[in-house]
Amino acid sequence: MKTIFRSRLFWISLVAVVIGATAPWWLSIYFLGVLTTAYYFGVFAMSWDLLFGYAGIVNFGPTFLIGLGAYGAAILNSQAGLPIPVCLVFGALMALIGGVLLALPALRLTGPYFGLVTLVAVLLLQNFIVIFAHFTGGEIGMMVPDVLSVSAPVNYEYALWFMVVCAAILFGLSRSSLGLILQATGQDPIAASALGFSVTKHRLAAFCISAIFSGLAGGMLVFYSGTASVDTVVDIAIGVQIIIATVLGGRRTILGAMIGSIVILLADELLRPLGQLNTFVVSAVALAVILFFPNGLLGVLLHGRERA
Amino acid sequence: MIAIQILIDGFVISALYGLGAIGFTLIFGVSGVLNLAHGGIMLIAAMIGWFVANTYGFNPYGAAAMGVLAGLLAAYATYYVTVRPIQTSRTIPPDETEIFILTATLLWGVMIQEGLAYLFSDNPVTMRPLLPGVVNILGVRTPRNEVMIGVLCWVVIGLLWLLVNRTRLGKTLLAASNNPRALGLLGFELSRVYLLAWTIYGVLAGVAGVLLASFLGASPLGAGQLTASAFSIVVLGGLGSVSGSLIGAYIVGFMETITAYLISPELRPIPALVVLVLVVYVRPQGLLGRR
Amino acid sequence: MRSNAPVLEVDHLSKRFGGLVAVKDIGFDIHGGEILGLIGPNGSGKSTVMKLVMGIERPNTGRIRLEGVDVAGWRPQRIARQGIGIVFQHSRPLHRQTVLENIKLALLPDSLFRLMADPSVEDRARAIAARVGLEGVLNRLPGTLPFADLRRMEMAKALALEPKVVLVDEPFAGLTASEVADFSRLIDGFRQEGRAVLLVDHNVKSVAALVDRALAMYLGEHIAEGTAEEVMRNETVRRVYMGGEIETHPRPELAREAGEPLLHVSGLNVLYGKAQALQNVSIDVHEGEFVSVVGLNGAGKTTLFNAISGLVPHSGAIRWGGTDLRGKSVAQIARAGIVQCPETRELFGDMSVRENLDLGGQHLPAPERAKQLSWLLELFPILQQRQGQAARTLSGGEQQMLAIARALMMKPRLLILDEPTLGLAPVILDLLSKAMHRLRETTPITVLLGEQNVTFALPHADRVYVLEHARIVWEGDPGRFAREMGTGYL
Repeated sequence: MKTIFRSRLFWISLVAVVIGATAPWWLSIYFLGVLTTAYYFGVFAMSWDLLFGYAGIVNFGPTFLIGLGAYGAAILNSQAGLPIPVCLVFGALMALIGGVLLALPALRLTGPYFGLVTLVAVLLLQNFIVIFAHFTGGEIGMMVPDVLSVSAPVNYEYALWFMVVCAAILFGLSRSSLGLILQATGQDPIAASALGFSVTKHRLAAFCISAIFSGLAGGMLVFYSGTASVDTVVDIAIGVQIIIATVLGGRRTILGAMIGSIVILLADELLRPLGQLNTFVVSAVALAVILFFPNGLLGVLLHGRERA
Repeated sequence: MIAIQILIDGFVISALYGLGAIGFTLIFGVSGVLNLAHGGIMLIAAMIGWFVANTYGFNPYGAAAMGVLAGLLAAYATYYVTVRPIQTSRTIPPDETEIFILTATLLWGVMIQEGLAYLFSDNPVTMRPLLPGVVNILGVRTPRNEVMIGVLCWVVIGLLWLLVNRTRLGKTLLAASNNPRALGLLGFELSRVYLLAWTIYGVLAGVAGVLLASFLGASPLGAGQLTASAFSIVVLGGLGSVSGSLIGAYIVGFMETITAYLISPELRPIPALVVLVLVVYVRPQGLLGRR
Repeated sequence: MRSNAPVLEVDHLSKRFGGLVAVKDIGFDIHGGEILGLIGPNGSGKSTVMKLVMGIERPNTGRIRLEGVDVAGWRPQRIARQGIGIVFQHSRPLHRQTVLENIKLALLPDSLFRLMADPSVEDRARAIAARVGLEGVLNRLPGTLPFADLRRMEMAKALALEPKVVLVDEPFAGLTASEVADFSRLIDGFRQEGRAVLLVDHNVKSVAALVDRALAMYLGEHIAEGTAEEVMRNETVRRVYMGGEIETHPRPELAREAGEPLLHVSGLNVLYGKAQALQNVSIDVHEGEFVSVVGLNGAGKTTLFNAISGLVPHSGAIRWGGTDLRGKSVAQIARAGIVQCPETRELFGDMSVRENLDLGGQHLPAPERAKQLSWLLELFPILQQRQGQAARTLSGGEQQMLAIARALMMKPRLLILDEPTLGLAPVILDLLSKAMHRLRETTPITVLLGEQNVTFALPHADRVYVLEHARIVWEGDPGRFAREMGTGYL
């Protein structure tokens, strides 16, 4: 425990969290809203980085897990009227089950094929949501009867602390024994198994952890915004944004993924005056970062360019 | 009656899908690049073709030619802006170039899509048909344009086949997909071979984009969907296999058409996706792919 | 220290990859406190045996008993926990963790729920690190370590689970002489502790001082077993490594009469990460000469050729006909007349024999190409019959001939042949040897040949270089080689 309090990272994070927690007193309601969404995205991205950066699994379908969590929670809430926490747990459970069903057979596949399966899973989910429109609201999306809060500052604090807790857990996991073994299986599966570690078991575990956090965050996002729709939680474009945020922020760092998400969503808002060009500019900047600083923003902050 | 309708529509749509997908698979086969800006490149060709026809009054063929040219330039830009810098980068580890190229081409595709939407608005557009009028095929009134597009697709596919299998340049491409290292040892500059592949790819994507705009219409916001469909077809047929992609295109095209006519247009993409999932699980290398 | 019952018993072990039999009916025992050397040239199947024992590959038939328990076909993690450890030659360490953490990793249980390591793990990791001599660099990142320390770290990881059997892949590759002595002591320490040790290496010589017994393999089969001396003296082993009687026909006048050498390599250094693959290597090849570079697998022959062909970054000078090759692309060097026929053959497997040959001749004008093609089909008649067949379906010997023919289609001024005899049966070697002879007698071509099979390399050679541990250690004419080096070479 002593080492934790001595680390610079801990103090920087603490200051950042304190500043973040006071934001409702000095930031406009509008930006609080933007940051609220960004924080949920941060959790999506961190969950993805645990898979990609640590276990070496390229999941092109983070929104399959997120969408299952979001729609699972939303449907239970609107159909059975159960309280939000129960719905959230149910959503996370759906994401976990879906994730295991997807990963169990798919983890046998190597190279690009695992990525392909995950991508196809998203397309399928998307189509099923459209087909079962009487449950899911189809392309328009569905409203949920309950929301976390109607007050923007309260919603903001919910999102912030949710993200902080997720970040602490995921970051802690990445630094734990499990994180060490995950990295070993991701880098050199044969060597890891020769050291006595079951590669499949650990990869599946990583997938499950990623599924639970993605599903939870998906559910939270739904109860913040009051709706679940394909465009906001399932579309491939959302998955793409998560991947880009992670690489932009710095892959294999967990915290970089969070920073990348906040930067991308904020930039999108700040550039709104450009009108339709804003996404263009954000993408161009992200592309430039990826080409010139492959270790991402956090990599630049930590090491400068020459260590990249 | 409806059977013949399905046959005709399915044939043409599949041919168009195939044309769109073979360029995608060619680039993967020759240089191992999955170009996720693919839909964007097709749309550049489509939108430019439509734009010069509408604004400068080009005749349909002139407009189509301009569109194809635009597609070719877009392909070059993709290569030089995203793929090449990553392949030659010293800071990106070799085992991660794949994910970097995917991310970069994705971003590039988004830039193309947003750029097009900004310049031309995001309303769907349809190019004037290359041929006006309708013909009667076994009792089904079919637009001449549709017939023309089906034929054109196959002419282009045939030309590609001749190029790859009957010319020395084509053999070089085959050899590059087989063993790029050996090609270098035999005195071929790989960068030139790749450039050749991107040239062919640009033309194919350009033609596919223009024909798409003239048959089904095109909208800047459809870039992702186009990429995804080419991707699914290619995976179904086997990454890197041109004939596999054609078979994949026909399976997807016909399943979609049959579903749309006989069950419901809503369910159009579902059966093909289910087949895709099954194939990926049972035979991940695709129908004609080799591990 | 030797115990009575063997710790590891392997019988009738076989492994096929498609049509290729990589390991055929191999059996051996190792007792606790004993070191067995498993030797054989590249492609002999020795590494496959090691992978089978570790469970990385599954055997088709055979038993692998560890203290009486048959572990054949188990997954590696289970075999590791049962008591077999492996020291890989190349494995990727955790780059962002310190040496200590890398070792701690190996001590962790295979559990998803133990998030914090036991406090005892830290102490044990330190103890293991001290055993292998890493105590001074515990808090450094692997990327900053010299090569020998990275190998020590691999040893430390393999020791973590206190294995009863330790497998070591090429224990001394890339190490300096003093490091070799250190590592010998370390491995000897395993023996002292009563572990059974299997050393896998290319040749007996490098492990002779260390092993209690050696087993030699060739083309998947067991060819000899005994003490290191017995194996070195064994007729079959000598034939495999050296071939049979050595004949030589040097043409010393070629080098004497020539002015500036055609190819002039001087002070060549190549680093692979931390490992020095070539150290201050200088060779000359004159117009029309046949020069052989002789050395065991791993000595650096392939690296030397790849440096000449522009495939690996290097320092030092490579001059070709008076011009520096620095900055030239692989393709430019090939078109300038230096054509390499690599060890791995690098054929276009899905394309036909004819297409492979045509690609080789694509830079020639058509009539010349046709002429070259008919000459080569005459030199290698078998290719004539196989013209329409996909290269991948050819036998190993046919593939090698195709690779050579394809290189010759380019009309090279200098042909570099890297290990053409690799994995080939003796009959094929004769055919290849005859082709080399004709090439030498009937054309003005210059050849640089890399070989470990001395009988194949010497008859055609005008001059010989011996490459050992990344350095040129001997140079001279083939007659002198047969007298001076012949005995001490293995």
